[in-house]
Amino acid sequence: MSSGVIDYTKEFSVIEGKPSLRSIDDLISKPLDTKPDKKYYIALSITLTMLMIGAVGLLASFYYGTGLWGNNNPVGWGLPIVNFVFWVGIGHAGTLISAILFLLRQKWRNGIARFAEGMTIFAVMTAGIFPAIHTGRPWLDGYLFPYPNQHALWVNFNSPLLWDVFAVSTYFTVSFIFWYVGLIPDFAILRDRTKNKLKKIIYSVTSLGWRGSNRHWQHYEMVYLVLAGFATPLVLSVHTIVSFDFAVAVLPGWHTTIFPPYFVAGAVFSGFAMVQNVLIFIRRIFNYEHIITLDTLEKMNKIILLTGMIVGYAYAMEFFMAWYSGVQAETFAFINRAFGPYAWAYWIMFSCNVLFPQFFWIKKLRRSIPFMFIIAVLVNVGMWFERFVITVTSLSRDYLPSSWAYFTPTITDFSLLIGSFGFFFTFLLLFTKTLPVVSIAEVKAVVDGAQPTHKDH
Amino acid sequence: MNEKILYGYTGLFDTPDEIIEAAEKVSAEGFEKYDVHTPYPVHGMDSAMKLKPSKLPYIALVIGLSAMVTMFIFMYWMTSIDYPVIVGGKPFFSFPAWVPVLFEITVLSASIGTVVAMIAVFFKFPNLSHPLHDTDFMKSVSSDKYGISIEAVDSRFNEDYVRSFLSSIGAKEISPVYWDDEEVTFKNTVLKPKFLTFLIVVGLAVSGTTYFTLNKLMFMVPFNWMREQEKYIPQEISTFFEDGFSMRTPVKGSVALGNIPYRFSGDPEGAGEALVNPLAVTKENLELGKEKFDIYCSPCHGYFGEGDSRLKGQFPNPPSFHSEKVRNWSDGRIYAVLMDGQNVMPSYSSQLDRAERWAVILYMRALQRSLNAKESDLK
Amino acid sequence: MSSSEKVIEYSKKELPPVFGKLGIVLLVIGIVLSVLAYLSDPVRSAFNNVILLEFLTSIGLGALFLVALEHLAGAVWSTPFRRVFELISSVLLILPIVALPVYFHAHDIFHWTHADVVATDEILSHKAPYLNMTFFTIRIVAYFLLWNIFYWLLTGKSRKQDSTKDQKTTKTNAKIAAIFMPVFAITITFSSIDWMMSLEPHWFSTIFGVYYFAGTVIASLAVGTFVVIWLNEKGLLVNGIGKDHYYSLGALLFAFINFWAYIAFSQFLLIWYANLPEETYWFLQRWEGPWMIVSILFIVVHFAVPYFALLSQPSKMDPKRLKIMSVWIVLAHIFDLFWIVMPTHSPDGVLFGWIEIGFIILAIGIIITVFNLKSKDSNLVAIGDPKLQRGIDFRL
Repeated sequence: MSSGVIDYTKEFSVIEGKPSLRSIDDLISKPLDTKPDKKYYIALSITLTMLMIGAVGLLASFYYGTGLWGNNNPVGWGLPIVNFVFWVGIGHAGTLISAILFLLRQKWRNGIARFAEGMTIFAVMTAGIFPAIHTGRPWLDGYLFPYPNQHALWVNFNSPLLWDVFAVSTYFTVSFIFWYVGLIPDFAILRDRTKNKLKKIIYSVTSLGWRGSNRHWQHYEMVYLVLAGFATPLVLSVHTIVSFDFAVAVLPGWHTTIFPPYFVAGAVFSGFAMVQNVLIFIRRIFNYEHIITLDTLEKMNKIILLTGMIVGYAYAMEFFMAWYSGVQAETFAFINRAFGPYAWAYWIMFSCNVLFPQFFWIKKLRRSIPFMFIIAVLVNVGMWFERFVITVTSLSRDYLPSSWAYFTPTITDFSLLIGSFGFFFTFLLLFTKTLPVVSIAEVKAVVDGAQPTHKDH
Repeated sequence: MNEKILYGYTGLFDTPDEIIEAAEKVSAEGFEKYDVHTPYPVHGMDSAMKLKPSKLPYIALVIGLSAMVTMFIFMYWMTSIDYPVIVGGKPFFSFPAWVPVLFEITVLSASIGTVVAMIAVFFKFPNLSHPLHDTDFMKSVSSDKYGISIEAVDSRFNEDYVRSFLSSIGAKEISPVYWDDEEVTFKNTVLKPKFLTFLIVVGLAVSGTTYFTLNKLMFMVPFNWMREQEKYIPQEISTFFEDGFSMRTPVKGSVALGNIPYRFSGDPEGAGEALVNPLAVTKENLELGKEKFDIYCSPCHGYFGEGDSRLKGQFPNPPSFHSEKVRNWSDGRIYAVLMDGQNVMPSYSSQLDRAERWAVILYMRALQRSLNAKESDLK
Repeated sequence: MSSSEKVIEYSKKELPPVFGKLGIVLLVIGIVLSVLAYLSDPVRSAFNNVILLEFLTSIGLGALFLVALEHLAGAVWSTPFRRVFELISSVLLILPIVALPVYFHAHDIFHWTHADVVATDEILSHKAPYLNMTFFTIRIVAYFLLWNIFYWLLTGKSRKQDSTKDQKTTKTNAKIAAIFMPVFAITITFSSIDWMMSLEPHWFSTIFGVYYFAGTVIASLAVGTFVVIWLNEKGLLVNGIGKDHYYSLGALLFAFINFWAYIAFSQFLLIWYANLPEETYWFLQRWEGPWMIVSILFIVVHFAVPYFALLSQPSKMDPKRLKIMSVWIVLAHIFDLFWIVMPTHSPDGVLFGWIEIGFIILAIGIIITVFNLKSKDSNLVAIGDPKLQRGIDFRL
């Protein structure tokens, strides 16, 4: 299928080479049965070092206070919020792959869904750190939940920051449930093939007694559908609510109605880029090239191109409407973004998010692994800068010219950013060695010949 | 070991087409207590087994809607009845702002509820003591075979008949499955004292933790040295002093550090005779005086001391500095005015420190000289 | 997988003549009523004509979008009835005729065409480089041209494939569809700004194009669903289209109803929350006096009813319910456009009378007649499409 004329009368194979079902078991559970090698430890030590850098920054922030960050008047939302939005965005690809593509019956998702869902969970965990520490006194974050506390006060349901609390915690919980439900049949497979006694006990407990019974599969598939149906609006709502954090304010550059869909598209954009980046390594290291095929990666690149263009559309609309609205402050905010003191950040954002993905129009580049890797890295750089541009440029130039200031992140800010990457990738590395990174049951279901032919139709 | 109790018969198939066909035949034969085991969901199996559609979506709907309604009532009560606070000029009942939270709560409850219902009610999981577990049959169907099991409790079950029926529909490795002894003799141990004790311990631990978290932990401030310093705060009871006051009155005659007492309060003439300007006439002193004069004196006296107030009649204009009287005042006499005030002018002793006062006087002198220069100044 | 020895049985059958007659009758009634309307109240008629124009754009352009989406996504389930959507999109051809009366009444409905008002209004004179008659004309001509070009490209190739059965055409179509998408996004946005947002020239909302897009997809999908089910029940399509296909259409309809609600709510919430006078007045206009009831009704009609009607899985497969809901949704989309356009004309009271009904009849008449005429010289199924057999075999 890689070249030549495509035969559209045949269904495209999602898994190449028609592997036997048992070989899929062996291949996917291999990382769990073998001891980690040297490369794994090197990778783990790198991520742990990054995590430690972040931990030092975090402890320093606790000890000396948040004055160590670059946040100050008027830029009260500095890097922590940028990082928060960035990481929540990374998480969105996982739910998109596992829920939306499931509803759209895209079979190629089956090979990558588990991994992407895992990334969702870890990304949301990473993201959750930032608003928690951004409160300044994270030990009081319990007050964010509406419980009858000693102040007899309730939380402010009109605040988008509180919506965030509900959205992100719901998102994490539902993603986790979705992930676990998907893992149950795989745990059963592992339970039945392991020879290790301890593993047997663990897998027995986690598989809850799954028997592959069709009377169960029936409900299971229904629940999977229902969960996908819930997760789809949920994933939209999460980044929508994150965008509300900005858009309900009257700050120029923040208050624009296109923010919700624009943020969601941007989140999917960066999330897909991150998933694609990591999958390139996973398929290589674990020999999953026939399960996570080049076709799958190409399809992901197409989605990156599509969402990149949606983001570009939003940039254009914002600019046009800023002028069209005739509101002086709004017009200034956008001119300032593109040509003001943060022009460098704006143009990094613009070129990485809108220009570079255009290379994916060319099929050859879309299927070249080194090239797509570079583009996806750039996309993530661009998306980080998008959040930086939105957060910082608007705040640094608010309505009161006397309070304008230039925001410079401090070394603590950067250590937290590095630490967040360390946190995320450490979890990811542990995940690859403790759980099947590809859904065994789902992949089996889309191998050629795995489904009955329905002769009678 | 006693006679083992038969659970049922199992048979394996190799391809998805075979298992669909087999399932159709088994259900056509009239069996009810049978099941199909596959490593992944096989399309069309539900209709082959004639299963009714799952009821789980309705459970999701009911849980989701009731959670939404409950949350709505809860939010209404909190924001409009129990503790109404106006936020952002919005009404107490600002429904659009509640939609996000309502939506999240709906999705959260419905997802958790559906999954719990599926696992606990529909599957009756966790169930780790099923006779099919750990059989070769189970190991095959979880990997790459498709199996059928017919239970012994089915009304049409008969060992020989089932065995021959299974082989007639093409099943391989037909084998009986027996209950394990433990699975049969398993008794519900919920009411055993051990388990009850365990429950009580868990209950105590959970409630204790909750109490501790909400009533103690929330009040523990980890880094509190900014808030709790080793000093007395106003009104605090003292354990050191006998009278219990932490606030002390100064000992008679004590003087604050750096403070030079002003002895001529109420005696401007005395001050005029006794006090001499300690500052030298330097550029720095004059500039300091000009700065302070422009800030504190010029609003009423005018920038040049002519009494041309900028206050537009809101305050009576003061007399000019350039009068004979003021020009002949000594520096000390002016100093007394700055300290005590004069007529409607209040004291400026708190706005200007000692050096600044004298600097202002130097600058005033310069102003006076500018209008009534002596001949010697012209040289 | 798909058994290639199976031959797809399809012979071209004519649509029942009643269909064509119904179309002509509705068209004639519609034309008579609208001409009368223009004679009695030209301004109100011009506003209704905007609704008509935007409604037909929704149907035609939305159908073309769905066709392009199928090519781009390589979907197979919709192949058996892709031709139906192609035929519906031929409504695009007559859009310029529908636009003409509005164009000549532009001075009556577009505030920004009044030079004296623009001269004294700082914001309007700021916008004058965009909102002026010359540029407006250039833009609308460009939209119609681009839409027609892509209409011919996308449907013409597909029709040729009926006889050539060339596999390459499918690939070419996917490429054309990919180019069409950005063009579509930009034209639909700016055409909605030009025709509807500029009715209130001070008002602005960046999401407006997306909002109109959401309505467009629902409306064209609803028309398509209705026609597909109706043709299939009459046996005019190929055998094998059944519940699984209906379910897919119903699910897509349901998804886009939610998407529309999401976009509409986002737009409302942000404007309501920020409470800036230059934005809120648009919603206030629709929330004061008699319009308030219309707005509440609008939420019920456009979201609540279709949402609950299509929520359950069986209801998405039920052809009868799908047909009813399709008609409902099409009317709801007209309601949507009415809700956007009419408060500008009559902020103090809701006007709904024979003029409005006349234009709705005209809209339906146009769609039926164009579909009928276009289907005469074309197969109703894309029989040359290599994905057709797979599409027929499609099961959930």
